[in-house]
Amino acid sequence: MDPIQAADHARRFGGAAVIKALVPAGRRGKAGAVRLVDGPAEAQSATVDLIGRTVADHVVDTVYVEERVAIDHELYVSFAFSSITPKVIVSKAGGVDIEQTYKVAPQTVAEASIDPRRGLTSWDAIDLWRRAGLAGSALPVVAQVTAKLYAAFRDADALMLEVNPLALDKSGKPHVVGAMMEIDDNALFRHAGWREEARASGRADRPLSERERRVIEADRTFPGGAVRYTELDGDIGLFVAGGGAGLLQHDMVVDLGGRPANHTDVSPTPTLDKPKAVFDAILTNPRTRGLLIGYNYLQMAPCDRVIEALLEIVREREIDTTRFPIVIRLFGPEEERARALAAELPGVQYLPSGSPLVDGVRSILKAVEEASAREAAQ
Amino acid sequence: MSILIDQNSKVVVQGITGAQGRFDTRYCLDYGTKIVAGVTPGRGGAEMEGVPVYDTVKQAVAASGATVSVLYVPARAVLDAVLEAVDAGISVILATAENVPRHDAAYAVSAVRAAGAHLIGFNTNGIISPGKCKLGGIGGDRPDDIYAPGRIGICSRSGGMSAELSLAVKQAGFGISTCVSLGGDPITGMRMAECLAMFEADPETDACVIYGEPGTDHERTVADALRRGDITKPVVALIAGRFQEAYPKGVSFGHVAAMIGTDDESASAKRRMLADAGVLIADSLENIPVLLRKAGVEPTLDRHPADA
Repeated sequence: MDPIQAADHARRFGGAAVIKALVPAGRRGKAGAVRLVDGPAEAQSATVDLIGRTVADHVVDTVYVEERVAIDHELYVSFAFSSITPKVIVSKAGGVDIEQTYKVAPQTVAEASIDPRRGLTSWDAIDLWRRAGLAGSALPVVAQVTAKLYAAFRDADALMLEVNPLALDKSGKPHVVGAMMEIDDNALFRHAGWREEARASGRADRPLSERERRVIEADRTFPGGAVRYTELDGDIGLFVAGGGAGLLQHDMVVDLGGRPANHTDVSPTPTLDKPKAVFDAILTNPRTRGLLIGYNYLQMAPCDRVIEALLEIVREREIDTTRFPIVIRLFGPEEERARALAAELPGVQYLPSGSPLVDGVRSILKAVEEASAREAAQ
Repeated sequence: MSILIDQNSKVVVQGITGAQGRFDTRYCLDYGTKIVAGVTPGRGGAEMEGVPVYDTVKQAVAASGATVSVLYVPARAVLDAVLEAVDAGISVILATAENVPRHDAAYAVSAVRAAGAHLIGFNTNGIISPGKCKLGGIGGDRPDDIYAPGRIGICSRSGGMSAELSLAVKQAGFGISTCVSLGGDPITGMRMAECLAMFEADPETDACVIYGEPGTDHERTVADALRRGDITKPVVALIAGRFQEAYPKGVSFGHVAAMIGTDDESASAKRRMLADAGVLIADSLENIPVLLRKAGVEPTLDRHPADA
């Protein structure tokens, strides 16, 4: 909301309000992104000040205004997934980082796995809070809220919901003062209204690049298995696939002294749209100085489709493959046709069938080194 | 022998009339898998690749006696398909769907466990007991190129790596009893330790090879099982993804599950944890058969001339 709207809201709350920068990041209080105000004018100026600021690498473009409550006691509740079940963690000592609480006062922290078929009942929650040391009239009230929060966590298809603090005012009434929720991308089909917002949020550590955004967009728009593309600060372009084989090849690049410009994970797709989007991102990244197409031995998907996508983008972007090294390690169905297609691009190295994964890595590192030496000599 | 599936397994395919279901079914039938029924609601009475199609799993089971089900059902509908299979009394379920909503996956796993059944996946390319039976796309149309029958049990987080591991041991003369791709989604129905416990109980498995990645606690459960003495056969592990430790936690580079959440979920920590528990840690694919021999496991492929 804008500064005028923020002032209006503060007025409605009787003046005492909290203005929070709406950015997808925790610890906003410490970052100066949460302001306590005592009237509409203050609310307006705090909002003016917050909008446009950068908090945890995110530019603030709107704020959230809420009523300021006189907090008597602060609690902590969070829901997330452990290995196969949802897990709840509560603490009687909220308002600070839970990791810190666990270190200094573990007796105030309790956790439990939740069977999704049972959910979290209010009596389960009472038991949990008792273990965290809560007693008296607060117990049923807080347990009730905790059970409702689990229902919200589940109904929203959240991967994580953290309420910190869950505050009790003087009258014992609970208030959700600080909350963060991460929604499961894979469940957005059930939450059409959130799709737009989800699009805008980025990685935990930095905003997305334009190329990363385009790949995410393509991933959401076109059919087939998921594709992922993450930029890094090296120069070796990786079009590596099959999850595990991609990780292994990335390890090999680093072990052999190279630095990847990106990581990818590409699943087979019925159309060329997704692989083309990834090739386009890699080949338009100004850092990239060479490309390794490294797949595990393909068992179902045809090899030639990958090379078709490569050809289209190389031609569209007018990449000179005699100067920009490309190495391919791609075996399986339709390999002969893939080889014939790749041969249309001069300078591309297609490794002999059966070559180990590490050969692709060695070849691209060597080719990039040679290309750099040639460039330097010119 | 083998684990989970063998030459006697009777299989129903849920979603048999879809493109992927039909494609994989063809190759599985070619391999000798006893696919006895298919299910697509509304297509009951039809036939697909010579397999009768029913409207419900219950009907298919009643007509065919199937105890294994393969699900070619998209992620958004897979929870229902798993529940239907469980309800019909299926004991081994394989779900290929990728990126299953997390709450759905957790619910499905809970239901499968309560029924005492086994769920392979989500996001698996299949399971193969070479020479006997395969489910899913594993091995494609040329499974014999990659998977030779033998006495090594393989359990991998990644379908692609299932192939690379199997090839690496095959090239050194080792065949496979069963190769299980657990699935790359964050929640999978089977835990690596459970898979190894089955190999431990299988008299025709001599040793196990596992492939792991950053994220999840599969390897911790394996280390615990070894320490408890539940697993005594040699275990060789290849753990990829060390490079991720140079980047912030919570950044996913491959499988969504392959994301370092806590310190003990990094590749290096897993290697240390497994090594401490007695697992042999391979530095590369080529190193795996070397370690198997070192553990006293003999190559057997010369005893299987049919597969040469």
